[in-house]
Amino acid sequence: MIATVVKLMARRLLAAIPILLVVSALLFCVLRLLPVDPAAMSMPPTATIAEIEVKRREMGLDRPLPQQYLIWLNDALHGDFGRSIVFRREARSLVAATLPVTIQLALAAMVLAAVLGVGGGLVMFHVRGTLFEPLADFVSILLLSIPEFLWGLILLFVFGVALHLLPFTGQVAPGLPLPHITGFLLLDALLVGRFDVFVSACQHLILPAVALGLAFSPTIMRVLRSSLFDIYHEDYIEQARLRGLSEGHILLGHALKNASLPTLTLAGVQFGILFSGTLLVEVIYSYPGMGNLMVDAVRNADLPLIQTIGLTYCVVVLVINTAVDSLYVLLNPKLRVR
Amino acid sequence: MLGGSATDRALSGVKVHIMVFKLRRRAFLQMALGTAAGIGGSLRRARAAASDAAKDAATIGWPNDVPSWDPNQRFTPDAQPIFKAVFDQPLDQDPQLKLIPHLIKSWNLAPDAMSLAVELRDDVTFHNGDKMTTEDFRYTFLDRIKGGVKLDTANSWKKVQDIVIESPTKATMNFSSPAPTAPQWLAFLGSFVVPKKYIESQGLDNFLKNPIGTGPYKLAEYELNSRIVLERNDAYWGPKPKVARVTIEIIKDPSARVAAIQSGQVDCTLNVPVREVERFDKEPGFAAELNPITRVILLQVRADLAFADQNVRLAAHHAIDKAALSKAFYAGAAVPLSVPATPGTPGYLNDFTFKYDPALAKELLAKSNFSPANPVKIGLAATNGQFPSDYDMARAIVQMWKQVGIDADLQVIEYAKYFELNRASKLPEATLYSWDNGTGDPEIFTGYMLNPKMPFSAWKDEEVGQKVLKLFNVADYDTRIAGYRELNRFAVDYGASVPLLQSVLTVVHKRNLTYTKYGNGWLLPQTLQWT
Repeated sequence: MIATVVKLMARRLLAAIPILLVVSALLFCVLRLLPVDPAAMSMPPTATIAEIEVKRREMGLDRPLPQQYLIWLNDALHGDFGRSIVFRREARSLVAATLPVTIQLALAAMVLAAVLGVGGGLVMFHVRGTLFEPLADFVSILLLSIPEFLWGLILLFVFGVALHLLPFTGQVAPGLPLPHITGFLLLDALLVGRFDVFVSACQHLILPAVALGLAFSPTIMRVLRSSLFDIYHEDYIEQARLRGLSEGHILLGHALKNASLPTLTLAGVQFGILFSGTLLVEVIYSYPGMGNLMVDAVRNADLPLIQTIGLTYCVVVLVINTAVDSLYVLLNPKLRVR
Repeated sequence: MLGGSATDRALSGVKVHIMVFKLRRRAFLQMALGTAAGIGGSLRRARAAASDAAKDAATIGWPNDVPSWDPNQRFTPDAQPIFKAVFDQPLDQDPQLKLIPHLIKSWNLAPDAMSLAVELRDDVTFHNGDKMTTEDFRYTFLDRIKGGVKLDTANSWKKVQDIVIESPTKATMNFSSPAPTAPQWLAFLGSFVVPKKYIESQGLDNFLKNPIGTGPYKLAEYELNSRIVLERNDAYWGPKPKVARVTIEIIKDPSARVAAIQSGQVDCTLNVPVREVERFDKEPGFAAELNPITRVILLQVRADLAFADQNVRLAAHHAIDKAALSKAFYAGAAVPLSVPATPGTPGYLNDFTFKYDPALAKELLAKSNFSPANPVKIGLAATNGQFPSDYDMARAIVQMWKQVGIDADLQVIEYAKYFELNRASKLPEATLYSWDNGTGDPEIFTGYMLNPKMPFSAWKDEEVGQKVLKLFNVADYDTRIAGYRELNRFAVDYGASVPLLQSVLTVVHKRNLTYTKYGNGWLLPQTLQWT
């Protein structure tokens, strides 16, 4: 089984190479087509046209687009993604500093979305055909129609401002240190034995993670409910009833396992979308992740940084999809046989 | 009996399962409640601790991060107060913006403005204990620039030919052409003295990670896009800050800044929406202010296209009801301007008013055969979100123009693209712009706006250009200021300048936290004080 999964992962990762090349080329071309001059943007306002021309030549912008791309690709393969125009630092180091923050937030949100989605899906299925069904439908549609940034603002005002229950700026309370080992603050706090930092980091993570999680849970809810509906038409469910198994046992012991497969596929896709959803939520909660950095980059037309972040998003999504596919194989015996 | 009957064993198994479930449920509930209590308790403890430490610490909600910890690298007006906490400038400004000694004890600008002799203090040390000398001064304003480091200061100090060191405290800056505003620039954007020995020995990358200056605070902690923690420099040569630890939380979203001050997560914040200032002002425990600053909201105009016609330019100016704009977007706190200078600065004219007169605007347009039925078509560029209500204000102007016979096509541009568009002559006839000038000096207002050789100016015209260029070489302060005052009047009457409003800075703070108000909007951490 492990060998099958490893083979699948290897195949997927190999397939990711051409995908990354295409995405990087697309990103490169699209950004170059924007009416923005990277040479002019990287110079101070007082720079003359002649100075900008020199800069343009230095940056290779006077060459044909395919050649520019190949230069960029060669540099990128050597770990050089260019320098940020705004921060005047290597784009790679900026992304490296902020990516763990966003991954931590996205993972926490995904776990919440999964818990809420599966729980909500089971409840929706359980109340099918009862008076509560329209209510459950209404709640799920309501949740579905509120985007993550709106959840961000609602939760901020309710739990941060009105009830004073949770903090909503940054990663930890002022006065507490920020240990830097892996970049994942929760882990780093435990590694350095600072439980106070860990608790504070959890408190600061709750609202942004819930905002993201709430926005993505209804899709999981509805897909799970639909899958359960389908599965309940299968013969083995009827046979389980005939064997005298309780409805709870049938649902949790048999139907849920099979219904979780399409839900898992969806969760994989959702993670990619959720990852991009961190953009606005990070700005609202002053969470110092890659989304926050992307907003700066876009606002300042910082092309090298936009390109590096865009590519990083692509890599993260590809890795997640590979992981989900592997998990799918682990959970679905039919795929293992093949 | 160990085993008992099958039924007994089965029942005992069930009991064990039930017990385990109960235990697990109990444990789970206890754990959940414990965690909730822990979080709640920890929050309460944190608040109590924060309250105890309140006198010695303050938190500010700030709208933007610093672009880099090299203070010479990028001109960012919003980051200036943060840099001023960690680094020192050779000269400083008092709250009324008068130039005052700082690292430089005394200075003497030559009558021809071709050199500036300075004497530095001899009691200043960097945060690592190294003494600050003229070597550092020369390194900051000459060596780094000539050494090819990409710095914005390379442009502001490009006239510096040499800095002759006479002693550790005395030096003379020599310029390639007259630099009458050199003293003002020593207190302006990017002009912070950096440690030569430290940067050369540690390297620039290490300096950026662990920056040191001579300022009243040391940088204790920095997290990109999130937080800056400053700790009092107890060896500071000047007045010691009253608050020992200042945390600057970077909160980019204005609603989140409002929420942060409302909930007590920050003690002070700035750049919140004007309507929130009005609301906070009525709340006990908060003080809310709309402070007029040395920032001018204006229309940058071109001298060609449809604006080649002076009648159209003047009509466009007469048609704008500036008082109405101020009332609608700044609660009336933004002062309507007739010249591109703010009240209290040397270039401001108390006795000159450019009147709002739509009838006159129509008359002027009629002279050029335009009317509401046959409007002149122009373009108006504006940013959206760069400064408060920018886009809304542009829309209001479009409506005002429509009434008199100017049909404006409103285009949204990114602030970062302004200079690029201007260089390529791609800006439309008018661009709504917010012009910051922390010095208040008229050269950095009118001079830069109308100097056709500078990238700040959309106006490229020889007649006005010659007048401006002459003033750039006037060394005598009084003559120079008189020249700019005259130019301000001329430029507005000529239609080369369309100033609108004096910008305001919104500040909300806890009532028992005070700070020193500066005319240019600086909110300096070193001036914070709990009462």
